[in-house]
Amino acid sequence: MKNSFDEKILDEAKDWIKANQKVVLATVIQTWGSSPRQVGSRMIVNEKGDFSGSVSGGCVESAVVSECLSLIKDNKPCKKIEFKVSNESAWEVGLACGGEIAVYIEQIH
Amino acid sequence: MKIKTLEEILKKKSSKTEFAILTNLENGDSEIYLPGTSPKGEFSKYADEIENFFKSKKNGVIENSEIFVETYIKPIKVIIVGAVHIAQYLVDFAKSLNFEISIIDPRGYFASEQRFPEIKVINKWPKEAFEEIETNSSTALIALTHDPKIDDPALQYALKNKFYYIGALGSKKTHENRCQRLAEAGFNNNEINSIHGPIGIKLGGKSAPEIALSIIAQLVSETYKK
Repeated sequence: MKNSFDEKILDEAKDWIKANQKVVLATVIQTWGSSPRQVGSRMIVNEKGDFSGSVSGGCVESAVVSECLSLIKDNKPCKKIEFKVSNESAWEVGLACGGEIAVYIEQIH
Repeated sequence: MKIKTLEEILKKKSSKTEFAILTNLENGDSEIYLPGTSPKGEFSKYADEIENFFKSKKNGVIENSEIFVETYIKPIKVIIVGAVHIAQYLVDFAKSLNFEISIIDPRGYFASEQRFPEIKVINKWPKEAFEEIETNSSTALIALTHDPKIDDPALQYALKNKFYYIGALGSKKTHENRCQRLAEAGFNNNEINSIHGPIGIKLGGKSAPEIALSIIAQLVSETYKK
């Protein structure tokens, strides 16, 4: 049996919007190999770079935040980002666990 | 995603409706899909794939497409018998785990709304209380009163209706006596042994939150075994 996991991120997104913040929703849409969060995991980011939720175990959140900020700045609706196995030159945005994930970011408007 | 779609999602979630969110990853269009209906517009040609995601309760991108499907299923129902101190901590843990809790306790001084805000508390004996709750083999029972008058009828109901998890609080001795009563009531060994008693995994703690944690840990573990 599978329990539906629900971390109330969408509820929080609604609260942020109510408080007149710009909100970008990030969702894990694909994973390969061992990745810390399952497909459907979510995170929200506002125009100040505050964030809640997660799309990995802390490995790529900072990169997702900056991608979300660019999305708001460029006023684009959505973007797909892929993160691959980490190596020394890209340690900041790599997955230390050796997995790969695709994250979809979209503005809530 | 449009704010309107987000609001609709939250509404569907709070009314415990099963649905899916369909997203076109190329243009950002998203749509709410209800099982059994035909997906609208650009999503219509993926009707079979979407239904399959739903059946397998999975999230993911449809093969050879840019369509992401996220399914929302009903939370698992957990019925607690005994509005006791441990139950208060169980409610706290369950909030972040997406279990839907109902509490049964015929004792009015325990079953107060003030002790359990925002939780369905049924201040009746189990037999009458179960008439108000829809249950099936995806329902769990946690019996906490260790009072045979209250726990036994609930345990019997859960066994008859094949709940996937049945646990009962009480010492080994209490549980032995309970098993004997159930045998006398006509339940076979397999049924009786399916009850987790004494309830919970072995953590060693004795306080109410520690016992609640050991129960919740066992419940989660049994949920994924099924």
